[in-house]
Amino acid sequence: MASSAVVRETLVSLRHQIAKIEGRLAETLDGEDEGRTVLRRSGIPQAGCLATGVEALDAVLESGIPTTALTEIHGSILHGGGAASGFALALVALLQAHALDQGEENLPVLWISVDDALAEAGVPYAPGLARHAGLSPRNLLIARTPSVEDALWIAEEAAALRHLLAVVVEVHGNPACLDLTATRRLHRRACAAGRPVFLVRQSAALWPTAAPLRLLVLPAAAMPRSTLAGPLEGTIGLPAFLVTVSKSRSGKPLRLILEWNPDDRAFEERPAQDSRAVVSVPAVRPHLPAAAGTVMAFPAGQQSAAARLQPDGEQHAPYRRAQRSG
Amino acid sequence: MRRIAALNAPAERLKLKCGMGLADARAMHPSIEVMEEEPEADRRLLDGLADWCDRYTPLVALDGTDGLLLDITGCAHLFGGEHAMQDHIVLRLTEQGFHVRVGIASTAGAAWAATRFLEDTPIEQGAEEHALAALPLAALRLDPAVRASMESVGLRNIGAIASTPRAPLVRRFGQIVALRLDQALGRVEEAISPRHPAPPLSVERQLAEPVLSMDGIETLTSRLCESLGVELERRGEGARALRLTLFRVDGAVHRIDVGTSRPLREPRLMQRLFHERLGALADDIDPGCGFELLRLGAMATGRLDLRQTDLAGAGVPEEEGLADFVDRVQARLGDRVMMKACLAQSHVPERAVQYIAFAETSGTPLAALPKQARPIRLLSRAEPIDVSAAEVPEGPPSAFRWRRMTHRVVRAEGPERIAPEWWLNGIPHVEADEEPRREVAQKQAMRTMTAQTTRDYFRVEDAEGCRFWLYREGLYGPGTKPRWFLHGLFA
Repeated sequence: MASSAVVRETLVSLRHQIAKIEGRLAETLDGEDEGRTVLRRSGIPQAGCLATGVEALDAVLESGIPTTALTEIHGSILHGGGAASGFALALVALLQAHALDQGEENLPVLWISVDDALAEAGVPYAPGLARHAGLSPRNLLIARTPSVEDALWIAEEAAALRHLLAVVVEVHGNPACLDLTATRRLHRRACAAGRPVFLVRQSAALWPTAAPLRLLVLPAAAMPRSTLAGPLEGTIGLPAFLVTVSKSRSGKPLRLILEWNPDDRAFEERPAQDSRAVVSVPAVRPHLPAAAGTVMAFPAGQQSAAARLQPDGEQHAPYRRAQRSG
Repeated sequence: MRRIAALNAPAERLKLKCGMGLADARAMHPSIEVMEEEPEADRRLLDGLADWCDRYTPLVALDGTDGLLLDITGCAHLFGGEHAMQDHIVLRLTEQGFHVRVGIASTAGAAWAATRFLEDTPIEQGAEEHALAALPLAALRLDPAVRASMESVGLRNIGAIASTPRAPLVRRFGQIVALRLDQALGRVEEAISPRHPAPPLSVERQLAEPVLSMDGIETLTSRLCESLGVELERRGEGARALRLTLFRVDGAVHRIDVGTSRPLREPRLMQRLFHERLGALADDIDPGCGFELLRLGAMATGRLDLRQTDLAGAGVPEEEGLADFVDRVQARLGDRVMMKACLAQSHVPERAVQYIAFAETSGTPLAALPKQARPIRLLSRAEPIDVSAAEVPEGPPSAFRWRRMTHRVVRAEGPERIAPEWWLNGIPHVEADEEPRREVAQKQAMRTMTAQTTRDYFRVEDAEGCRFWLYREGLYGPGTKPRWFLHGLFA
């Protein structure tokens, strides 16, 4: 009797250690119960997840985007706030559809932006949001602040609020105040309130934050519109995103092209267009390497799809790049 | 020529007079001390004094350049009656180094006269006529010209005017004489215009020992919020705007305003609003020697009825609502921070959405959403782009340069033509004499204006997959050079 209690205690402590290593709750470690929602005493569901509907992504994210946590969405460093904010809004739309399915109230979304991010990428435009994410102008609240500190203060206060569907914080660049401490506070508030906080970052280098999930979202070329008579050449179809999972609980790498269907409010994975080998097999095998000819840069648009799927140097955080010594 | 603008009592005893040339005065009394007149500084001082006097009554008005008018109706008993209040004012202002005269009466006119010409005030109600009868006409606030003409016919004091038949007096000297007399004697109501609107409800706390710390101010504010909450509950109202007034010992006054987006009377919530505001203002408020009086006023109120909670919800502590959250943000960061999108009746993209300050209104009608594709982000101002050439004159550009980067257009959809709102911009003015010719010229001008400001919108995708919303302003034609702009970003 006593020995079995000791065994169980050992087992529980081991299980907690494993859970800590894997970054999960010990209660969800049992094989058959994977992905279930655990209700803690306060009644707040811990580690709730929002399935994206894309199998590959959900597998890497372990059943989906966490809905009680801070999620970082990085846009392109160079330009274009459209893709990152469009992806964040698509997630909000998924969340809203999910909430409505559960019979919950239609709650507003708070979009917090710093002035320079708005000047750079434009103000969220209500008619466009209604079309893209099915978000009614009534349910859109916009907070614009001159400084990042104020934006983070609003975000922290709002993250603790259960009257909002989600909080989206848009920050431009790498301000010093958006450090591990600030993101950790945001994350803890989101955990406590059981609401997601999306941190949309424009023109920012990757830097350590406390967000358990970080996605890099770049724009991807859209497919032509599909009609009954087949694809219509020259038209712009569903918005597409090139999504890279840069940081996740499982740590598995993933890079895929997602298409967002605003009408169905669903993501679809686009199958790779060409399945050519990354390294081409030479037809003739000369014993000596050919003499170096003229080296030409490929035009940006004619990169092969396979080459695009390789992570590029910019995505390595500056602190992880080779450091110059001396 | 420099003249004397004001004199003190010893100077008056030297037979100097206002308006006298300075050189004459110096010739009479070489030892007089002369100071430059500073009307602006005088006005500031009077404003400061008026702020200080807010402690006696919320209705303080400036009276000319040298007086203050306090409506102390219903306030005197707080200071132990009119006599005690008068003594209090005289004592406190004399301590501060002012020479002050105070007169109390039931009418503004009588109080004005009593301050300047009588020693034994207050004048009891109904005794104005008797008290003012012996005073000169200057006590009636009349123009010097009117006064001089009346004195020239032997009307030298107020009693004389009061006993003169009314009709000839008005006919000869104007309506103003009768009006001033009636105002002084209380036959006609006279409104004073206070510097600040009086709150419908206010509570205050006088402190024996000045409070110095921010914590102390917050504690006192929460007490005041509690008292105000009780008063609001009794009236079945909630506050829409609150003002906290801090009176510093040395006379400086701080006013802190917060607004609410729904009627509020929960003391805790009101206190949280002030907590944010005081937090934001902490550097601006200098306690100096401390604050001796705090007043909290509800500047605007709205109806707030009690709502009954159901049995299940009775024990749950009330959670902070969205409106309360927005109020706190606005209290801290200003009321232009939280915005709500509101669709307007316009097809021009930048006019179709207006951002209005958040308020808990659900019934605002929304205009219909446009059926065409719209970007998810709209630049607040369309940015000009360099377009070398379009393949087809009326078509999309093949490449464009925006923010120092060249984008090669791979695919494009459009155009969507959006014409300007001519009914808002007005009809162009034309110069023509005859009716038929003017009509033709008008039509021509209208057509030109439309051709110059019509926009053709294109949705384009560049080689990297970024999707933009571009437009060409103006149509191709003789004498017009269309310009290209980037207006929005698609997902």
